[in-house]
Amino acid sequence: MIVRFATLLIALALAAPAPALAQKAIKVGMPMPLSGPAALFGDPAAKGAQMFVEELNAKGGVLGRKVELLVRDSKADANEAVRVSRELILKENVDFLVGTLTSAEGPAVSVVAKESKIVFIAPIPKTDQLTAADKLHPYVFRVAANTTMEGRSAAEIVAKWPVTRIATIAFDYAYGQDVTKAFVEHIKKIKPSVEIVDQQWPKLGEQDYNPFINAQMAKKPEAIVSSIWGGFFVTYSKQAKALGAFDAVKYNFIGLGEAGSPETTKSMGADYPVGIWGNAYDAFYWDQGSPAHRDYTARLSKFLKEEYPSSWAIQGYIGMQFLAEAIKKAGSTDSDKVAKALLGLTVDTPMGPLTIREKDHQANRGQLYGKTAMDPKYPFPIMKPATYVDPTRFMD
Amino acid sequence: MIRRLPWGWLALVAALVVPALGSRFYTFVANDVVIWALFATSLNLLVGYTGLVSFGHAAYFGIGAYTTGLLMKQAGTPFLAAFVAAGVVAGLFALVFGFFCVRLTRIYFAMLTLAFAQIVWAVCFKWNEVTGGEQGMPDIPYPDFGWLERLGGAVPLIGGYRTSEYFYFLCVLLVGLCLWVLRRVVGSPFGRMLTTIRENPERAEFIGVNVRRYELAVFVLAGAFAGLAGGLFGIFNRGVFPDFAYWTKSSEVLIMTLLGGMGAFAGPAIGALVLIWLNQQIVSYTEYWPLILGIILVVLLFVFPGGLAGAAGAVRRRLARRLAGA
Amino acid sequence: MPDPSFVFAQSLSGLTAAMFLFLIASGLSLIFGVLRVLNFAHGTFYMLGAYTAYQVVQWLQPGPGRFWISVIGAALAVAALGGLVERFLFRHLYGKEELYQLLFTYALVLILGDVAKIIWGTQQKSVSRPPGLTGSFSLFGTTVPHYNLLIILLGPAIAVTFWLVLQRTRAGRVIRAAALDRETLGALGVNVDALYTWVFVVASFLGGLGGALISPMRAIVPGMDTEVIVEAFVVVVIGGLGSFWGTFLGALIYGQVLSFGILLFPRFSIFSVFALMAAVLVIRPWGLLGRPLR
Repeated sequence: MIVRFATLLIALALAAPAPALAQKAIKVGMPMPLSGPAALFGDPAAKGAQMFVEELNAKGGVLGRKVELLVRDSKADANEAVRVSRELILKENVDFLVGTLTSAEGPAVSVVAKESKIVFIAPIPKTDQLTAADKLHPYVFRVAANTTMEGRSAAEIVAKWPVTRIATIAFDYAYGQDVTKAFVEHIKKIKPSVEIVDQQWPKLGEQDYNPFINAQMAKKPEAIVSSIWGGFFVTYSKQAKALGAFDAVKYNFIGLGEAGSPETTKSMGADYPVGIWGNAYDAFYWDQGSPAHRDYTARLSKFLKEEYPSSWAIQGYIGMQFLAEAIKKAGSTDSDKVAKALLGLTVDTPMGPLTIREKDHQANRGQLYGKTAMDPKYPFPIMKPATYVDPTRFMD
Repeated sequence: MIRRLPWGWLALVAALVVPALGSRFYTFVANDVVIWALFATSLNLLVGYTGLVSFGHAAYFGIGAYTTGLLMKQAGTPFLAAFVAAGVVAGLFALVFGFFCVRLTRIYFAMLTLAFAQIVWAVCFKWNEVTGGEQGMPDIPYPDFGWLERLGGAVPLIGGYRTSEYFYFLCVLLVGLCLWVLRRVVGSPFGRMLTTIRENPERAEFIGVNVRRYELAVFVLAGAFAGLAGGLFGIFNRGVFPDFAYWTKSSEVLIMTLLGGMGAFAGPAIGALVLIWLNQQIVSYTEYWPLILGIILVVLLFVFPGGLAGAAGAVRRRLARRLAGA
Repeated sequence: MPDPSFVFAQSLSGLTAAMFLFLIASGLSLIFGVLRVLNFAHGTFYMLGAYTAYQVVQWLQPGPGRFWISVIGAALAVAALGGLVERFLFRHLYGKEELYQLLFTYALVLILGDVAKIIWGTQQKSVSRPPGLTGSFSLFGTTVPHYNLLIILLGPAIAVTFWLVLQRTRAGRVIRAAALDRETLGALGVNVDALYTWVFVVASFLGGLGGALISPMRAIVPGMDTEVIVEAFVVVVIGGLGSFWGTFLGALIYGQVLSFGILLFPRFSIFSVFALMAAVLVIRPWGLLGRPLR
């Protein structure tokens, strides 16, 4: 038996991955959901990061070193995200972490990053808690919008609708709770006549929304504010449409959590409830974009081999952009130096210049909002028009 | 001669040597193995020794993890107290749940253990204020090792390790202690009675044994030690999450126990080592680890129902016969 | 006092969910009743039914009956798979301990789950409702989708059909006899081996049918198997392991408890379902309509 033990130990040692070659690439770990309903957003986000890395390496990398991106499936589960992140750090010896999608994954991985002193840039999780004062640490940064920005932007839009009875439906976890709270607080401030008549809290991952939709319709709301996202929105809206929920509120419905993104409208086809409001991080058809945006969209279309490229790639792209710029500015891959370089850093992204502010490591990342409608140019609905809402005045 | 070697001590030394190999990752994997070894051994008290198949053992693992996590994070309780509390609280839940479970047999017993485990999961999953809900509780503090580091300044060999390595040593010592206790329990008259009950419960009743009381006692014991494993795991994992109590976790530990061999005390621990190591190896080549695991399980069930320990035992017996005969 | 049309709407959504669960759980109950095995892989057959239905829809040209062909096709394919699994693998475990049989079904969950991922990938898939059933009508002040209504009617229809088969046909009598006393049945010259295979085939058909029928309403996604099997366990426990109408009753209860739970105690609707399962096991372990196991 001791022979067996020794053999096992030796086998373990032999099976360990070979050390990096002399070229010493900069390793970036990317935990991202690649399976399940969240993959609708997670998969393109990973691809956007990959595109940036390929383009960067073609230009010689950064500081003369190539960048190696290691993507791992976090399954939209906080526990799994923590596990793969620790493996990336301990086994693959990554220098940085850029990733996570859900607002459960983000804060959990942030803890790992803090302890390991690894710079962690979150390109998607929105919950305020990620950068709240009690959770903030030198190594966490966010290039996504946060729930305060999203909730308030939504409130300003909904306040213009001729409605006073509003219902909300959100997943019962940090993102759903925080964005709903931000929305409710702000709309009550700017339109005091508003009444929140119903709030539903399905669990993240719910497949049967019928009871929630029924319960909500019973309160006879005039508008619905939903933050059901990703593949879950596809399921929810199919069921809601069948129950006549959109008709009942006369399509006074806003789908936060990027229900207006081309991925969602494309995947739903004729089942999409055209006429609702939604938001998205990007839209290939955005006509207010800069030449840089048009160029990015063309490159993305070629990289993904898609005629109508995804709107989620941009977040992976921007996340890596900030990392690369910070490494360049710091002149090193040392975590502390790069973390310091990220503070106040402004980067020219395809969506325009974004800055990570020092106060809470949050970038002023706004989103595109718009009411969906059919357009003769495309076989699926688009936000018409898609308007970029600058979040700066919502960030306190 | 093979049997006389002090396997327990050798395993302990081997475990303590791992950080010296220099890779943080090996320590990480070894820490995982050590904790799961305790979890699996606690389950084997029920399955292997008493013949009680529980589908809900992860409930106590989860309860232990949340107890330690809550105490250390919210109440600032020192680690040792929180660790012991994990076992006590899990044991109490096992007492309450077990009271109802042992009144049932076979499939009903299994279903009720599953039902209680899912209840625990549902509460952890939805009680946002206390357990953090779906977010779980990330950021569980490590035990305070400051005194050890200061001691290390004076005493050689103790200083200079990372926190995660100190925690690993602590796990090895605590799990070693727990396993030693369980070994004594299993070898005691109480333990032998469990085996009698597994072989033939009616006969045990017939000779005057209160079967139900023994079953409840082992249920509580198994639950308490699973809770201790959970308490360690919450810290190791740097966060406690509701799926610690989900039924698929119960099935993972059951497979480990089967793989290693339910008939030997060290079986589950061996199963933990092999399964976790295999997982690490396979995952670097393919994402289809569940497929591989399923195939391994099928092979085990058809060819090696005694698990690795059973197969090893058979090989050893054949060797002994050959040596004796030759 | 809650609005009556709302109460009606909630109970309808509870009924729809219940009928899906009944289809799946009835197969589970059948296998348990005759083979005395709790088949963890039943959720996987459900998932494979959904994926196969999706696949057949992709292969066929849009046209009348495309959806229904794919549903029946999927159910048949899953039934065939179930039969093969029983005949060539499961049969060899009959003499062994129950635990081994259970773990084998769990191994199937692992293997078939990954096979589904290999074939269909990890992204969510969906199927549209069949044309002709995309609309809805108004009843008692609520909107009732046509497809939901179909499911609500189909459930009891299938239940009654199977019950008649069990009661009135020879095959049904043989199955019921096998559930009571298989040794005597073997002694009477019935080919028990073939019987077991057919039971597995029928049960898998039901599971696959449930999955195929649910595909227009929910997402087809990895993980749907482990989620549904626990729900099916709850249903058969409440109704009674091995009891046909017990499973139907259990499904109804489950659907309504979940539906109204979301309204009355939203935080703990999930908890309440498992608490009900535990309560039944504590008070009356063989379920509401079941009989004590021999």
